[in-house]
Formats: sequence, C-alpha cells, structure tokens
Amino acid sequence: MKQKSVRALMAAAILLIGTSAADAHIVAARLGDFYMGASHPLTDLQDVVLWIATGVLAGTLGASKGRWLIPVFPVGLLVGLPLGPLLGNVSTELADATMMLAIGMLLAAAAQVPTLLLCAIAFAVAIIRGAANGAELGPETDRLLYAAGLAYVGYGSITLTMALTVVFKRASDSATSWRAIAVRALGGWIAAIGLMMASLALAS
Amino acid sequence: MFLHVSRALTAAIVSFALMQPAFAHEQAGVAGGLVSGLLHPVTGIDHLVAMVAVGIWGAQLGAPAIWILPITFPLVMAVGGVLGVLHVPLPMPEVMIAVSAVILGVAVAARLRLPFAAAALVVAIFAIFHGHAHGAELPRAANALAYGVGFVTATGLLHLCGIAIGTLTRWPAGERIIQGLGAGIAGIGCYFLAQGLGAAA
Repeated sequence: MKQKSVRALMAAAILLIGTSAADAHIVAARLGDFYMGASHPLTDLQDVVLWIATGVLAGTLGASKGRWLIPVFPVGLLVGLPLGPLLGNVSTELADATMMLAIGMLLAAAAQVPTLLLCAIAFAVAIIRGAANGAELGPETDRLLYAAGLAYVGYGSITLTMALTVVFKRASDSATSWRAIAVRALGGWIAAIGLMMASLALAS
Repeated sequence: MFLHVSRALTAAIVSFALMQPAFAHEQAGVAGGLVSGLLHPVTGIDHLVAMVAVGIWGAQLGAPAIWILPITFPLVMAVGGVLGVLHVPLPMPEVMIAVSAVILGVAVAARLRLPFAAAALVVAIFAIFHGHAHGAELPRAANALAYGVGFVTATGLLHLCGIAIGTLTRWPAGERIIQGLGAGIAGIGCYFLAQGLGAAA
C-alpha cells in the first residue's frame, strides 16, 4: 500500500515537473496575450534593470514622493506601447543606457530629486520600455490584452520595488549607515552598467 | 521497497535533469554575456589581486574611503571600459596593471595613510587602466547589457571581498595578516611586471 502511494507520488511529481513547458500553450489559447504582455518585460534584462532602478530611486526619495509613480509608470507604458511599431528596427539600446546612467548617477549621489522630475524620469523610462515592448508585437496579438498585461506587471513591479526600498532604507538612517551606502553603491553599479552599455551601443 | 523508491527517485532525477538543457538555449546571448562578464574580472590574477587590494586599502583608510570607494569605483572603471571599447590607446596597459598591483600591495603592507584625495586619485588612475583592459578584450558577440551587468557585479563583489578582509584591521593580529596579504599582492604584481616588461623588451 505504502509502496503504491510512494510510486503514485513519484509519478505525480514527474508529471508536475514535466508540465511546465506545456502549460504555456494552454494559457496562450485563451488569455494568452495578457500573459504575454505580463511576462515579456520580465524576460528582458533591459526592462528588469531599468524598472528596478526606477523603483529604487523612487523608494529612496520616500513614500510621499514615490507614490506618484504608481499611476505614472503604468500610464507611461500604455502611452509608449503604440509608439512601438513606429520604432521599426531602431534599437532603444542607447536610450536605455542613457536612462540607466542618469538614474544610477542620481542614486549614487543620493540626490534629492523633486517629485516632478522623478515623475518625468519614470514617465520617460516607461515610454521607452513600452515602445520597446510594443515593437515586438505580432499582427495577430490582441493589443488590448497585451497592453493590460504590460500595465499590470508595470504597476506591480514598480510598486513592489519601491515598497521594498522604502522598508530597506529607513528614513531614520543617517547618510553613512550601511543601508544608505548599499543603495548608493547599487546606483553606482547601475550607472557603470549604463555607461558600458552606451559605449558598446555606440561602438557597434 | 527501498529498491523501488530509489528506482523511482532515480527516474525522477533523470527526467528532471534531462529537461534543463532545453531551457538554457532560450537566452544563449544573455547567458553568454552574463557569464563572460562575471568571469572576466575573476580570471586574470593581476586584475583580481588589484581589485581586492583596493578594497583592503579602502578599509584600512577608514571613513570616508571605505564607503566612497564602493560607490564610485565601478563607475570609474566603466569610464576606462568605454575607452577600451572605443579603442582609445593608453600607454603600456599591461605594465600599468602590474604596477597597480605592486603599488596597492605595498600601500596595504606599509599601511600607507595618504590623504583621501590623493588615495582616490591613485585608485582612479588604476581603475581606468583596469577598465580599459576589460573593455578592449570584450567579446563582440556577447549581449552588451548582460556583459555589463556581469562585469560590474563581479568587480563590485571583488571589491566587497577586499573590504571584508580589511575589517580584520580591528584586531592587532588581523592587521599583521593583512600586511602579509599586501606583501603577497605586491609580489604577484612584481611577477606580472617582470613578465610585462620582458614582453615589451
């Protein structure tokens, strides 16, 4: 009896592990384009780095300034999305690199960015990345579902990153506490990555 | 009974293991760039010891060096990387990298206490040469962003290693160990310097 259940468990485990690849197809048949919009940015390193950078910058400035991005960022993605096809084959690499460099430098300098500038930066990032995500849309993709997925994941990622940063870097910390330094060092790293990427984009 | 369980377990492990290669292909460019960026700073011994030495020296100098260096060092190195990618020639890059290991090693061994501005200048000059070497040797096929992420992360982590080692200075015995490490780093630098000059001659 026990042997049977162990066997059944093993079989179930094998089946479960094996299904992950097939899963995607079932989803794609129904609300597939929603999930495509939601998962596309998460598989792109440029989106991941830039979104995290934006979220961390907003988080270090505090919740009162950062919370403006909760509507601004997804709206920016939606505005950028239809601009994607206009982009054609033009790569957004240089624009991405410039934004990384700018956000990284602001983080590293621990600059007190005004709310309006923060919103403008986040909106610019969202438009660039929205367009980049829109450029890869096929003719058969459901635009509405894709846009909904993209805006949803943009809202989720930016809010979570911001909240985690606010919790990590407590407002009571001094400028030389290790938490503040860690966030600034992360900014320095992001700026360095942006600089390297810009030079590679220019060189190629 | 146990035989069956182990058999089933083996089957499960094999079926799981066989699935992995299929995933890996999906982002070969990104993974390749990430790996080469991560490994590049770690695989050259002369680079590696110099990076660690910068961290140790920063820890020895104390505030503000210990917290300004991790923020600015990767950035200055990226400036050097830009020069390398654009193939802007720098004088004797290999020799300068070996010299940097010698000087930083000696600074650690002698507990050299320079004013912060002077120390920052020395480190910045060496950082540009190190970055230049990495930029010039960049594999063209790699995903640029992934390479940058890997490269900066590896450099930053090496630097943190140095700072962690440097915290030994709090204890008198640790201070001796660090001075010994500094002498070792200077020795490795001397070896590469001799090699670089021999190659140049």
